[in-house]
Amino acid sequence: MRVLVVDPDPARAALVAEGLAGVEPLEVRHAAVFVEAEAAAFAPDVVVVAADSPDRDTIESLREASLTNPRPVVMFVDRSEPGLAEAAVAAGVAAYVVDGLAPGRVRAVLEVAMSRFQLMNQLRQDLLKAKADLASRKTVERAKALLMKERGLEEDQAYRLLRKLSMDTGRPLGAVAADLVAFAGVLKGDKA
Amino acid sequence: MTETGELRLGFVPLNDAAPLLAAADKGFFAAEGLNVVLSREVSWATVRDKVAAGALDGAHMLAPMVLAASLGVGSERQAMIAPLALNLNGAAVTVSVDLAAEMRSLGGGGGARPLARALAARRQGGAPAPTFAVVFPYSMHNYLLRYWMAEAGIDPDRDVRLAVAPPSRMAGHLAAGDIEGFCVGEPWNAVAERDGVGQVAVRASEVWRGGPEKVFGVTEAWAERNPEVLAALLRALVKAAAWADAAENRGDLVALLAEHVDAPPATIAGSLHDIDFHRDGAGVPQPVHAAWLLSQMMRWGQVAGDIDIAAVARRVYRPDLYAAAAAAIGDAAPILRTVADSFFDGRGFQMDAAMDYAASLPLSRVARS
Repeated sequence: MRVLVVDPDPARAALVAEGLAGVEPLEVRHAAVFVEAEAAAFAPDVVVVAADSPDRDTIESLREASLTNPRPVVMFVDRSEPGLAEAAVAAGVAAYVVDGLAPGRVRAVLEVAMSRFQLMNQLRQDLLKAKADLASRKTVERAKALLMKERGLEEDQAYRLLRKLSMDTGRPLGAVAADLVAFAGVLKGDKA
Repeated sequence: MTETGELRLGFVPLNDAAPLLAAADKGFFAAEGLNVVLSREVSWATVRDKVAAGALDGAHMLAPMVLAASLGVGSERQAMIAPLALNLNGAAVTVSVDLAAEMRSLGGGGGARPLARALAARRQGGAPAPTFAVVFPYSMHNYLLRYWMAEAGIDPDRDVRLAVAPPSRMAGHLAAGDIEGFCVGEPWNAVAERDGVGQVAVRASEVWRGGPEKVFGVTEAWAERNPEVLAALLRALVKAAAWADAAENRGDLVALLAEHVDAPPATIAGSLHDIDFHRDGAGVPQPVHAAWLLSQMMRWGQVAGDIDIAAVARRVYRPDLYAAAAAAIGDAAPILRTVADSFFDGRGFQMDAAMDYAASLPLSRVARS
C-alpha cells in the first residue's frame, strides 16, 4: 500500500506507518506541503490529509481534474470540530475520521475508504457510460432522420445505411452518425 | 448554534472578510444581542463542509461555492443561501515579473492580448503551458480569469494549466516558479507585488466593474430554523459593511485586517482601493450576479447545460432577507437588477437569457445532454 500523508507535522505520518505495520508492501510518504507533480510521481493508493490543512482545496480540485486517475482521500479532524466528521462528503474524498488516527484504527479506516472509493468510482464510470450511450442513441436518431429527409429513405433503410457505413469504415455507429450530423450542419451553413 | 446561543461563523484570511471581522470587533454583533465566535479557516472546502454539517452556523464564502453546494456539484448537495454579499470587486490577476516583462515587450491590444502573445511566443520556443492558480474550482477568480483569457483567444484549458492553491501561498508559489500567475482576492496580489515576485495584470474591477466576490452563506435549513437570529446577523453585517466602507474608519479597518490576515498594514492599506462593502448597494445579493456565475459554470462544463439558471439564482440569492434587514435599520432598500453590463469587453448579460449567453461565449463548453 502506498500512502501519502500531507501534513505540516511529520508525527502524523509516523502514526499512519505505525498503524499499518504488517501491511506488505508498504510505503508511507510524508509531505509538509502538497505538490501535485510529486504526488503524481509517487502514485499513492490513498492520500491522508488533515481537514484543517490549507492543501485541502488543491487536493479536492484534483478530483475534478483527474477523473481518469482519481485517488481516495481520507481526511481526519480533531474533536474540537463538532459535527464536521458527520458531514456528507462526496465520492472521491472518501471519509472523514474523527480524531482519527489512533494507530489501532488506521488500517481499517484506510481500507474502508479505499473500497468505498472504488465502488463510487465504478458507479461514476457506469453513469458516464450510460450517458454516453444515451447521447450516441440520440445522435443515431438524428442521423436517421436526416437520411430519411434528404434521401427519402424509410427508417429501416436509413438505419441499414448507417450500419453499412459503420462496418465499411470500422467505426462505431454513434461516431458515424455524429459525423453525418456534423457534415449536414456544415453543408447547410451552420458552421464556418 | 450551541445551547448557550453562541454562534460560530467562519472566515478565510482575506480583505473581504472585513464585514464579519468588523461586526465582531466593533460591537455590531453585540449590539444585536448576538454572541458570535469567529473561526479562522484555511480552506474553502472545509468552510463549505463545516457549514453543511453545522459545525459553523454561517461563513464568509465564495459566491459560486454556495451555488455549487446547492446544486450538489463538487460535494454532496446541501441547499445553501446567500442573504448578503460581503463585497464587490477586490480581486486581481497577478503574473510573475518575467511574464509581465514578456507581456510588455510584446504589448499592444486590449484585455489579455499581451498575455496571449507572450504565451504564443513561449509555445513557439517549445516551453510547456504555464500554470496559473485560482483559489477554488467554484470561485469568481476561476471564472474571472477564464473570461478575461478567453476574450483574447486564450483557451484556459489548453494554453495554460489551471491549478488550485490557497490564497496565502500564491506569492510563495510565484516566487518558487511553481506558477506563472494567479487570480486571488486582496491583499495577496499586493503581497506578491511587495515581495517583488509579481505584478498585477488586471483587476477584477477592470474586467467587471461591480462584479460579485464573497457572500455570507448559511444553509437553507439553518435559515428556516433561525429566522430571527439570521435577521439580527444581517442587520449587524449591513452596519459593519457600512463601517468598513467609511473613509474615516480606514485606519481602523487596516489594523483590524492586519491582525487577522497575516499581512503588513502598509500592504493591506494599499490593497483596498477598489473594494466595495456597502456603498451603491454592494451588499445586496443580486440574483443577476448568481445567474452570471451559473452561466460560467455552464460555459465551462461544470454544470449540465439544462439547469434553470434563473430559478437556481433566485432560490440561492435572497435579496428579500437583505431587504428586511436593511429596512429594519433604516438603510436603503435594495434595487434589484436583471442585467449586468459593465464588462470590459462590452458584452451585456441578461438574467433571462443566461443559457444562450453561456453557449454563445468564446470557447463555450456547454454540456448538452
